[in-house]
This record gives sequence, structure tokens and C-alpha cells, in this order.
Amino acid sequence: MISGFQNVNLSRRNLLKGASAAALGAMAASFPRIASADESSAASRFGPDANPKPTADAVIVLWMAGGMAHTETFDPKRYTPFEKGIKSNDVLSTFPAIDTAVDHIKFSQGLENLAKVMDRGTLIRSYTSGDLGFILHSRHQFHWHTGYAPPQTVACPHIGSFIARALGPKNPAMPAFIDIGQRFDVGEGEELKSFHTAGFLGSEYGPFLIPQPAEAVQAMSPPKGMSPGRFADRSKYYKRLLENSPVREFGSDFQKESLVRSLDNAHRLLTSPASKAFDLTLEPKESFDKYNTGRFGQGCLLARRLIEGGARFIEVTSEYIPFFYWDTHDNGHTRLAKLKEEIDRPIAQLVLDLEARGLLDRTLIILASEFSRDMLIEGRPDSKVKNQVTQPDIMTELKHYGMHRHFTDGASVLMFGGGLKKGHLHGKTADERPCKTIEKRVVIEDLHATIYHALGISPKLAYEIEKRPFYVTRDGLGKPILEMMA
Amino acid sequence: MSRTAIVEVLWMATWIKNSVLDRANARADFAHAWGNIRAILAGVFFFAGGLAHAAGDAKPVALPPSATRAIDFDQDIKPLLQASCVQCHGQGRSKGEFRIDTRATFIKGGENGAAAIVGDSAKSAVVKMVAGVGVDEDQFMPKKGRKLSAEEVGLVRAWIDQGMKWPDGVSFAAGKQQPLPPRKVALPATADAKINPVDVLLAGYFAKHGVKAGAVVDDAVFARRVWHDVVGLLPPADELKQFQADSSPDKREKLVWRLLNDNQRYTEHWLSFWNDLLRNDYKGTGYIDGGRKQITPWLYKSLYENKPFNSFVSELVRGAEGSEGFTKGIVWRGVVNAAQTPQMQAAQNISQVFMGANLKCASCHDSFVSHWQLADAYGLAGVYADKPLEMERCNTPTGKIAPMKFLYPELGNIDANLPREKRLEQLAGLITSEKNGRLSRTIVNRFWKKFMGRAITEPTDDMDNEPWDADLLDWLAADLSDNGWDLKKSMARILTSKAYQMPVVPVAEGGQEVFVFRGPVVRRLSAEEFEDALSCVTGVWAAKAAFDPNGSAIKWPHKKARWIWSVAGAEKSAPPGTIYLRKEVMLQDLINGDAMLGCDNQFVLYVNGKRVAGGEAWDKPAVVELKAYLVSNTKNVIAVEATNTTNAPSPAGFFMTGTIIHRTGGARKTIDLGSDKSWSWSGKMEEGWMSSAFDPAAHGWKPAAELGDEKIAPWHIDKKWTAGTAVAQTGEPVRAALCAADPLMMALGRTNREQVMTDRPSMATTLQALELSNGSTLAETLRKGAAKLAGERGATADSVVEQVYWRGLGRAPSAGEKAAAGELVGAPVKVEGVEDLLWILGMLPEFQLVR
Repeated sequence: MISGFQNVNLSRRNLLKGASAAALGAMAASFPRIASADESSAASRFGPDANPKPTADAVIVLWMAGGMAHTETFDPKRYTPFEKGIKSNDVLSTFPAIDTAVDHIKFSQGLENLAKVMDRGTLIRSYTSGDLGFILHSRHQFHWHTGYAPPQTVACPHIGSFIARALGPKNPAMPAFIDIGQRFDVGEGEELKSFHTAGFLGSEYGPFLIPQPAEAVQAMSPPKGMSPGRFADRSKYYKRLLENSPVREFGSDFQKESLVRSLDNAHRLLTSPASKAFDLTLEPKESFDKYNTGRFGQGCLLARRLIEGGARFIEVTSEYIPFFYWDTHDNGHTRLAKLKEEIDRPIAQLVLDLEARGLLDRTLIILASEFSRDMLIEGRPDSKVKNQVTQPDIMTELKHYGMHRHFTDGASVLMFGGGLKKGHLHGKTADERPCKTIEKRVVIEDLHATIYHALGISPKLAYEIEKRPFYVTRDGLGKPILEMMA
Repeated sequence: MSRTAIVEVLWMATWIKNSVLDRANARADFAHAWGNIRAILAGVFFFAGGLAHAAGDAKPVALPPSATRAIDFDQDIKPLLQASCVQCHGQGRSKGEFRIDTRATFIKGGENGAAAIVGDSAKSAVVKMVAGVGVDEDQFMPKKGRKLSAEEVGLVRAWIDQGMKWPDGVSFAAGKQQPLPPRKVALPATADAKINPVDVLLAGYFAKHGVKAGAVVDDAVFARRVWHDVVGLLPPADELKQFQADSSPDKREKLVWRLLNDNQRYTEHWLSFWNDLLRNDYKGTGYIDGGRKQITPWLYKSLYENKPFNSFVSELVRGAEGSEGFTKGIVWRGVVNAAQTPQMQAAQNISQVFMGANLKCASCHDSFVSHWQLADAYGLAGVYADKPLEMERCNTPTGKIAPMKFLYPELGNIDANLPREKRLEQLAGLITSEKNGRLSRTIVNRFWKKFMGRAITEPTDDMDNEPWDADLLDWLAADLSDNGWDLKKSMARILTSKAYQMPVVPVAEGGQEVFVFRGPVVRRLSAEEFEDALSCVTGVWAAKAAFDPNGSAIKWPHKKARWIWSVAGAEKSAPPGTIYLRKEVMLQDLINGDAMLGCDNQFVLYVNGKRVAGGEAWDKPAVVELKAYLVSNTKNVIAVEATNTTNAPSPAGFFMTGTIIHRTGGARKTIDLGSDKSWSWSGKMEEGWMSSAFDPAAHGWKPAAELGDEKIAPWHIDKKWTAGTAVAQTGEPVRAALCAADPLMMALGRTNREQVMTDRPSMATTLQALELSNGSTLAETLRKGAAKLAGERGATADSVVEQVYWRGLGRAPSAGEKAAAGELVGAPVKVEGVEDLLWILGMLPEFQLVR
């Protein structure tokens, strides 16, 4: 049985011809080889059930960097308004709950637009982060994005890289893995770089980085200040000088050709009509304004345009900078009100726009964060993890009113599209502190397995590195959560 | 159980080898992927048996057609071989005398003769046997397990029809161990002493393998190769021309040695190789909270001094001062997997880098792919711990303590009762012991790979694999230790051989058959080499190094320096006129010295009586190199004429920050030159006041008055002098290896160096090409370079093209190139045209590939 999967793989081959991975792999001993035999072409070889049947062919991860408190967003608990003298231990949510389009699902105030589209989504309320001891955001983010807790003996690929490796680009004129919104010259920047990478899979599958959505077009057009005419000329003269070179012996033409071909590919990408998707100025003003709550909103808009243009994997982050955005060590309530404003409208719009364009069914959207927050509990309840934030027993100042400690025993993940159930709720946390997962615990391996499953990739897919199989979910153990699939 | 799982499990089964028995003792809650393997295997055999029976009922009568698409061994064939063949014909097993260890043994076949006829699948026995066509039932393969589908047989057929590509390094043979002790290889008695022993040894090899040797590359290609390999730079055009014109017969050897002896360039090239190996970098994971330590100054010095390799290794293993970062590892805050504790990282890294042994698997469980066991990894890690470690299997404590030991007990024991420091000395002693031939083999093998593109033993981190010529490897290894572990001598052995000078040989897509050395393979410039090569053409180097090998001499802001003048309160008002300032410093062995200084209103700086610099604007400090003016082993005098030039009393002050670095008693020391009350002043210019013989006290000189620090009014230089101006512009090229990775280097394969990296992938990729086509790092370099080239006096299209071709490619442009490139550059010369030409040059295979 030949599925659409095969065609996808062929287009990958076209784009990557420049790489000629196998051959150079022979020179690079560390080059990964497919270890388990259930990828792509193997799908037909070993029968249709070797890989799950894909229900999605594109992914958008919306990353709430810094730790998004579940009780303040998608899993509201008892609301306690602020007043001087309230006890910290009494406060579970600092916002009242609101109704959503699904009767039994409530959100926290400030997410009204998302509430309206909940009937298109699946909400996990039982996601449980890794228990990695002392809380370090970048380390938990590494764990979320690779499925492996650092450090590791080999360089781990980002989930976007695994997907790029397994499926290739959907449209050959669009990089397979696009990362929007994160800068790396920030605190913990080096730690962030450590998982924004294809790791041992090789840079071919690494992220195409767009730190500033508004400047995305520059990443996908001729160099700044270079006219299209000059850019075309440069390429023309390159060919001419290549042809006129008297030096022809390179041992084999293959290395020479792979180099020239890769440049051809780049040139094609930079001048292709698909590159227009990167240009936010081409978006009608009315539509632009709907998204434009700031960088994150623009990132969502860019993601929509890129999905329309045939992108495979996109991550849009609110951006991780220590103590900024969702990393609320103080003023949690005040800051969350603003953060919700930033994400609510654009994400809801993204869902509606993709739906209107008929793309939502094949695009899996995942909104997630490295862990949750609580006013009192650091790490797991009863763990010996050192508190990083001082919280008074009795609050007298508004700045203490919020979820400022790092909580790892329960969190929410909101998903849309891609073959998931609509208006579905999975898992549950306790209604009293500790508001931890009490039903249907979901760990990163299973969340990833679900994403891979939707894409038609087995969670046991592995690539060989240093003679060991390295699986897309840790040790191949991820189990897709089939009850969330439509 | 799905078929996917079967394939995977069968694949895993090929790994099991000796470890099944071990595994039988594994804990019930063994949560690793390999965990429930026995149970799964039982299922597989049961299931597979059923399938075989079913398939036997429907034996096909005709061969399925050969697949029409291009076969990718890794994707299409290897999984099939692993799933269906290896169990009986690989991993040391040879049912029916048939082994699929290598391509050659595969083709050769077994007791029934050749298994495959390359290019003719229909006549290949193996195809008939897996298809079950024209063979007896008991020859229908695989006997155990599921038969191949028609489509799979078609893939095997296509593979054979298309030439049976078999990537280099793929082997289904059982893991072997190579001997540990060094081995003296005697050269034939008849060998000409003037011939490089490498060539003497290879002569026999070539004869045996029917390789026609003898041809060598021309001077230009050779020079480019050796410049690349020794110092990582392009040969400058004039030197290249000189070399080509030189008629002395030993000029190639002389060039090799001249470059090897260019200590600075050599060091700044090899720094990248060692940084990769020792996972050292200027920025990166772990530095933020002290979970990692740089070894750069130690490494730079060790390379510069060509430290004997046994000492080099010993210091790294012991964690000698400055080198301890290597075994310290990278420590993330929080709970870390047992297989990644700092001690375990040390064990893994030492084994990989120096012994070509991979302990990573064995850090978690007995390895499935080598003979290393959990006890080996924990035994070595324990040497770095406070006491012998309890072993954890897959992160679960076993209750068993691993006695401290090194991988090869035959080298000697580690005494667990000794304090850690002494144990590490013992360990270093074992690794560098004369009995350990693995250390020298591993490093010379890496050099061979660096210079020839493919090692004698591949991969270089798995020295238990078979070398393609053991005599050559063993001779080179013994030669290194015989030569006092002088790495440069070993490099020279290879670089001065005829083998190194052979023309490049093709690397076919999809790898080659059984490897035979026929000459070097084409290599691609690494990230650092590419940036440096472009700088060689443009003359534009990085503005600032992350590591300044001479020591960063200027600190800004400077916490100790003060504004000084003759009288207190001068920052408000001082009389007009010139004062004389003086500071004496005693120097031992000078390393470097720099200063930044300014004066309200004017100054002239003298060092040891020589005028060094002057300035007339306090807000534009002078940045000066003092090195050339300073003298070792004597007293040096810094002298300044400082003038308040106004006619009426006005603010006056002098400020200087700077340091001299010197070595005294073997230690590196810094002398602070900051202006303060240790400076003396006088209102009179006296005979000899700038000389060291002058005695200021005897002439009534007094300590200068301190006015305040860099923040005081009216100057506020803390805001006006910047760290940028504080970087001494030495004019020395700042090599890419000395800089933190930029986006271009990252795209070209420089890694985060969180893990040991012994082999960078060199493939051209699309993401890389995007960075090359529109990335700002390259664009900026090209823009500056073009401006510089176009701005050269009398620049014409011809002269620019000529320059660019000579500098970049080491040759004159052909007529066709001259015409096209000239058109691009334009007349008069357009900067944009030059920029485009530079970009094109950088993208030419001739520029990026070393042939």
C-alpha cells in the first residue's frame, strides 16, 4: 500500500539531493543511520501497520516559555480575590473561571477567545513534567523538546529535527523546521542553543531560526540591500565562473556537485514564491491587526502563513528570558493578565483561520510549557527541591499575589486539529493544593508519541548513532494517547 | 505484536551477543528499552515460526522484478539484512560457511559458491534463495523467521543490479578486540633510508592490492594542502610563487617543517581540532553557573610549546592546573542520570578521546555492541570519585560496588586506598605507560584521518576495528613514542610521505567496496577554515577574539586607576603648564603589555625613553601596545609629559589603565599600570628623567595627587571610554578558532561542544547554503573585504580579479574567468561587483574543497 507518506518522502529527497546524506555519511562515522526499520519507505515494505496512519502532516508548537501556571490558565481552581492579609495557602487561582464552548470545561478569565474555540480542541490537564531536581528552566525545556533529560552522551535532536528527518519538508521550498521568536543572546542562551539543534542528525535537520517574526522576510530573501536583479546576476556569474574554471579534478564530482546543488536549492528557496509567506507586510491590515498583540501574536500570524505555504514543523515561542514572560517570580497575577492578552486572541485566530482554510484537520497545534507554577510548592509536592522564590504566609502586597514557584506535578497542554478529538478533556488535577495530576498522567514520552502518531511516525522510530539506536521517544517507550485521537 | 515491533526486536537481537546471560539477571523492573527483550524475543520466535510455515505453503515460481528506484543501502537493505540474515550469517556466525560480515564475504558466498554476481541479480544465488525460486525447500531463506516479500526481494535485486553499494564502515562481523601493546614493525632490510618509512610500508601494501602509486600532485596543490593541514590558512600568493619557483629537491619537506614550526599559526589552527576533542569552548552550556571550566589557556600553551603527547595526556587525565576542565565535565543543575555524572563523563571522554573506546553504552548497562561492561565504566569513573562507586544499571542501583580500575587491567592496577590525586597520577601513568599501544595508535590514526580524509581504522573512536594496514598503524604509533611523543614529528612523517602527495581519489556516493587506500580523499574546509580562508583573501579578520592568547591586557572599567595630577582639586582647577609623570616597573620574562590613556588636555607617552603615543583629547583615549618598547629582566620606565594647555586655571588630569603580563619564577604575573599615587611627578624636565638610572626621589619628585576614579566629573569617562576602545588593536589576524561560534560557523558544522566531537560532518546542506547565501555574518565580511580590495590604490577590474584568484585559489584566472569576473567587478571598479566576486569565490568547490 502506497500512501501519501511516500510522496512526502520523495519531495524530501528532492530538496535534500544536495546533501547526499548517505555518501557523506560514509565519510562521517558519526552520521546517523536509520536503526529501526519502520521509517518512510519501510512503511510499504513492512505493511501498512508498520507506521500509524497519519492524521496530520504539519505541527505548530506554541511555547509558553518560563512555566505557565495551570490554575491560572486552562485548569482554574477556587478563586480568591486579592486583599491585604489573605493567606498564601488559601490561594489556588487569582482569576475567576469562565465558561468555554464546551460545557464541562472552564478556563481562567482572560482567555475568552480561546474559550470560544475549545470545541475544536483537546485539553490535557494531567501533563506532568520531568522530575529533574533543582529547577532550571532551560533544562526542563531541553527535556520537553528532545524527550531526554540533559546531559546526554550524544547531542539530542529537537522534536522538530526528528520530524524534519523522518518526513522532510512538506513543500520543498519551505524549510522543514522553523523556529520563531527565540533569541539566543539572552540569559541561559547557551543552554537554549543546546536543544535548538538537530544534534547528531546533522545540521540539515536543524531549525531555521526567525528570532523576530516581523523580520522573517529577511531570513528568506536575498541579502539585505541586494536587489533581486543583482541577486540573480550573482547566481548567473557563479555558474559562469564555475563553467570557466580550469580545475576539474576533485577526486569525484559528487562532493563538488552536492555543494553546487545545495546552493541551487538555497537560491531557489530565496527567490521562490513560497518565500512571500514570510513577509508579514503582505498580510491585509485587518487580519494583521487581529493577530498583532506583539511579537508572539505576530509569530502566530507568521505560523499561519507558513502553514499555508507548506511548512512541516513550526514552533512559536513567547520567548524564554530568565524572569520575563511566563517566568513569573513576582507580580504573577498582574503579569498573567497581560500575558493572556498576548496569547488569547492570536491563538484563537490561528485556529479559526486554519479551520476556514481547511488546514486545521491536517495541522496539529500544541500549546505547552516546561512546567506549571504554584504559589507554595516548588518542584513535586513533598520534594526537597530548594524554593527559588520567597512567599510570605500572609500577603500584604499585590506583588506576592501570583504563582511564583515552579510546580512539576501537573500542567495543562492544549491541542487543536491534526486528527484529535474536538471538545475533549483528558486527565485531571486535584481541586485542592497540591493541585497535582490525579487522573491519566501524561508524561513527555507519551505526549511526543501522540504527536508522532498523528504524523504517522512510530514512537519506536530510531536512528543509529555510535552503533546505538536513538529513539524519537526515550528508549522507544512513548505510547500515543489513542483515546484523544478522533 | 505488530510487524514493526518484530523488525525492531530482531534488529535488537543482533546486538545481544554475549549479554543475554547477563541480562537474565537483570532486575524485573528493568525499565530500559532493552528491558523485556527475552519476553519479546520469545514472542518473535513464536510468531516468526508461524509466518515461516505460512510462507512455505506458497513458494513462488518466478523471481519478483527488480525494483526500479535507486537503492539506499541504509534505508532499504541494511534493515533487511539485520532482520533476516544476521542471525545466522553475521555476528560471528557462518551457517553454510556464508558470512555477510563485509561486502566481499557476502559476494564470496558459502559452501554453495558465490552468493551474488554484482550487476546480475537474476543469476545471484542469494536472490534465488530468498525468493525461493529454483531452490529446494531447505534452501529457501531465511530458514528462521519471516520470508521476504516480493517487494523486498525486488529491493535486494535492485541493490545487486545497481552495483551492490556497501557504505564504508558497515560490518556485520562480531565485535573483535585489537591488541593493546605497542608493536615494533621492522622495515625491510633492503629499504632505502632516504625513503619515508610510510612509503616503504605502503609499497608492500600497494603491491598487494594492485594500486599503482607514484604520481604526486603539483606544487600548487601540495602547498595548498599542507598550508591547510598544518596551519589552516591559504598560502599567500607571493609565498606560493616563491615555492613554485624554488628548485631545491627537499622544498616540500622544508615547507612542511617551516609551517609546523610556525608555532602561533599551528596552534591557532589545531585549537579547533582539540577543542572538539576536549569539548572546550569559550561560551556554552554550563559556564553560566560554574558547571564547566575552560581549558583554553592551558591548551593554547600546550600546543604552542608542542608539549610531548604523553605529558599532554597525563595532565588532562590528572586534571593538572588549567586542564582540569576536561575531566570536570559539564554539570547541569538538578538531578542527573547515573550515566552522566561528572565522573562518568570523565571516564567516557578519556576512553573515547585517548583510547578510541566507547564506554557510553557500558555506562548504563553491559554494552550490546562491544565487550565493555558496566563494571568497566564504573571502575574507571570511580577513580575520579571519592570512593568506589555503586553500579547503577539503567539508572537503577544494583547494590554492587565496582572496584576502581582502568579499562585494561594488564596495564596495572589502581590503588583505591590512595587519595584521589595520587590515584589520578596512577591512572595517568597507566594510560601513558609504555605497555599501552592504544594511546599512540589512537592519535596517529586521528592524524591520518585529518590529512588523508579517511583513517587507517574507522571509525576513529572504535580502535577495536580492523585497520586496513596494521603494520602502518603500528609503525606510526611506535614512531610517536620513540620520538619522545613529539606530535609534530608524527605529523611530519605523514605530511612528507609520497602517500600524502598522491592525487585525490574519488569517494563514490553510497560509499565504497572493501576499503583500499589509494590516496587522500577530497576534504571540505571546516567552519573555522572557511572563515579564515576568506579572511586570507579579504584581509578582514574578526574584530575581537573570545580568547586573546597574549592575555587581555586592558581592563575596562579599571577599578584601581585614578585620575592624577600634581595637586589635589585639579579636576576643578589647576594652573596651566606641563607636568612630568613617571612609573617604574621591574620585568622578568615579558609576555605582553597594553595601555589605554588620556589627558585633559595633552600628553606624550614614553616607554624607556622612546616616544610611544600622544593625544590631545581626553575623551578619545589612545590605545597602545607596549610590548615592543618593554625590555625583559630589567627596570622599565613609563614616562608622561602631561600639559594643561589653557591660559588660565582649568580642570586638568591624566588617566591611564593598562597592564604588563610577564612570567616570573615560571608563573604568569600581571603588573598593573593604572595611574595612581604610585606614580611620581615633577614640574621640571630634568636630564635623563625618562631613563631607568634616574632617581626621582633624589630630585624631589613627589607622589601624584589622586583626583578620583573613572566616574568623576567633569570627565565621566566610565561612560565615554568604552570596552570597545579598550580592545587593543594589535593588527594580528584574529583567527576564527579564537572566536566564539557565530551563526555562519554554526551552520558550517561547528558544534556546541557539549559532547566530545572527533569527526565533524562535512556535507553541504541546504540550511547551510541559506546561511551562505543571505546570512549577515558572511555578508558583513564580504562587504568590508570588497571595500578594502576596491579601495586599494590603482585598483582595476583586472588587478582585483588577479588578486582574488591568486589569494583565494592560488593561481591566475583563466581567460574565460578573467572576462566574466572582470565584467562583474566593472570598470571603474564597483564595490558591489567585488563583493559579488568574493561571494562567488567563496562558493566555488575549488575554494571550499581541499583536493
